[in-house]
Amino acid sequence: MIEIKDLAKTFAYDKKEAKKKKGKTVSDPREGEGVFHAVKNVSFSCNAGEVLGLLGPNGAGKTTTLRMLSTALEPTAGQILINGHDVTKEPRYAQKQIGFLSGKTGLYHRLSVRENVAYFGRMHGLSRQQIDERIEKIFTMLDMHSFAGKRADDLSTGMMQRASIARAVIHEPKVLVFDEPTTGLDVISAKTVLDFIQSYKGSEMSVIFSTHHLHEVEKLCDRVCLIDLGETKFFGPTDEFAASTASGSLYDAFLASVNNKKEVA
Amino acid sequence: MWLVYKKELLEILRDKKTLIFSILLPTLIFPVLFFAIGKFTASKTEEAENKEIKVAFVNSITLPGFEDLFTREKGFIKVELESDDYKAAILDKKVDYIFHVPAGVSLPAESRKQEVLKVYSKESTRLDNILGKRVDDVVDAFNNTQRMELGRNFDLTTDNVKAFNKPILIEENNFASQREKTGEFAGPLLAYLLIALAVSGAMYPALELGVGEKERGTLETLLLTPMSKGQIVMAKFGVIFTASFFTVVVTLLSYLFWVWIFSFFAMDSSVAADPDSLTGKQSGGGLDFLSNISSLDLLLVAVLLVPLTSIFASIMLSASIYAKNMKEAQAYMSPIFMIGFMPVIVAFVPGMELNVKTAMIPVTNVALAMKDLIKGTVDYGLITILLISTAVLAGGLLYWTTVFFKKEKVLFRS
Repeated sequence: MIEIKDLAKTFAYDKKEAKKKKGKTVSDPREGEGVFHAVKNVSFSCNAGEVLGLLGPNGAGKTTTLRMLSTALEPTAGQILINGHDVTKEPRYAQKQIGFLSGKTGLYHRLSVRENVAYFGRMHGLSRQQIDERIEKIFTMLDMHSFAGKRADDLSTGMMQRASIARAVIHEPKVLVFDEPTTGLDVISAKTVLDFIQSYKGSEMSVIFSTHHLHEVEKLCDRVCLIDLGETKFFGPTDEFAASTASGSLYDAFLASVNNKKEVA
Repeated sequence: MWLVYKKELLEILRDKKTLIFSILLPTLIFPVLFFAIGKFTASKTEEAENKEIKVAFVNSITLPGFEDLFTREKGFIKVELESDDYKAAILDKKVDYIFHVPAGVSLPAESRKQEVLKVYSKESTRLDNILGKRVDDVVDAFNNTQRMELGRNFDLTTDNVKAFNKPILIEENNFASQREKTGEFAGPLLAYLLIALAVSGAMYPALELGVGEKERGTLETLLLTPMSKGQIVMAKFGVIFTASFFTVVVTLLSYLFWVWIFSFFAMDSSVAADPDSLTGKQSGGGLDFLSNISSLDLLLVAVLLVPLTSIFASIMLSASIYAKNMKEAQAYMSPIFMIGFMPVIVAFVPGMELNVKTAMIPVTNVALAMKDLIKGTVDYGLITILLISTAVLAGGLLYWTTVFFKKEKVLFRS
């Protein structure tokens, strides 16, 4: 189970950036004197077996939140607990429990798919036997055996994303974080990813799924958390969120909830 | 085409970093650096020109006025020899030049023939050449006075003519070994080559492992594993260091091999051309030169590259990690290469030598030490100081790279 309480992250501008910002009209309320509050107050939780949809416009603070959850960034304030363990205090525990996949996390192009996955297994301290067994299981599940020996730079986008999923789950994490995993994928590849996420529903795993595709949220997520301008605007069941507007559509609920209708420049 | 040209140019002009690194550096910073090096070279040359030269004279009583010319000239100091061992006196630096007037030599103006003087010295450096030139100037001045005397006499024989043209002929006896003389040229060449290879050998892997990983998204993936950032950066540093060091060592071995091959064939053909020269003394060129360099000296050349490649590996890895993209990283690499190479140029300014002070100047110290190792004139105590100072710097830079790598602002710079 994941619990995120009053999470905040502030970035200090460097001198050059601060000078550039000085005297200019503030376009984002998160901008402070020489600092930017990327995440101001985010709270949500995700139970085992649940898929939580993380929603928000571009620049809302979703990726920063997920990076804090994955220990890549250190929170300025607040708490992240994974099964009761504080991520900031026990980063190694968190890293062993989390599998992270985003559109930006890549593979080593000169290694084969199998080598890539095995490498990350070794990084997580798995034995060769454990790696072989898990690779067999995951590759079968994701239908990857046909391209297991191919170098990553020879893969199609869909194959690459499946290989990335295998890389993210090789250590059998208890928390899976997907940050816009279907961006740029064709319908068939996107379906593979969504089916994979779906397969974890009701398992021991907590899945956090960040996306801009609301139909995917409707299909997969039990609960949603909407982040806007670095703050949680809604956290609750997906149906309840959709029902917050007269139309009952997730799309309308989303538009009604975000303050900034224009993309942040 | 014009439209594309204009758009591309506009994009480049709006890229401030490209402007700084491709225009500001070559037009402003590099000329300033070259000017500084030029000034430093000039000051060192002036220093050499004003350096006190210790001269000794043996049996010069038969050449009245010869000694006086030296003692009157600024910068020369006459010393008395304590023994007849000229070589020891010169190598111990008790005297720089010994003028030995053989028995029977008198003033050419009186003998009406060319007289031959012997001069003993040790000339193996560019500084020595400057000093030697000053000595030659004084001898020439003496010759001029003699020529004036001879001019009064018109009863000229062949000897008289020779005497008129060059009343005093100097027979030079240079105590510098062939290794020192060859090493004076080969040492800097080797240092230039190896240091340039160390820098360029670190560049490609640094780009790959820093900004390359950032661009491919594998760096973020790596950060999510239970491996600490310190371990990750150390591993990356290790690869860059290995690649750089390997490039240098392989090149060094390859050059040694080819020098051996060419020398072998050169010796073979010289033997064929002159069968009587089978004395075992004929020159094997580079082979002779190489055979004089001990394994310890060659090993030390390689050892010197360890802290040096570490320095460049740390700097380049930091620059590569800091860069947002490959283009920005490449813009950083050229100045690092150029600025990193300046101390090598400084090392070979006449008068620069490895001492306690220069042993602490990064890169310059390694270049100077390499030259001395090749020449066979190295002070192993100074090598120890050099290794300690360079290792401290390399360690400091590596620590800084590790700290730098842990900064969120650097890793997620956008």
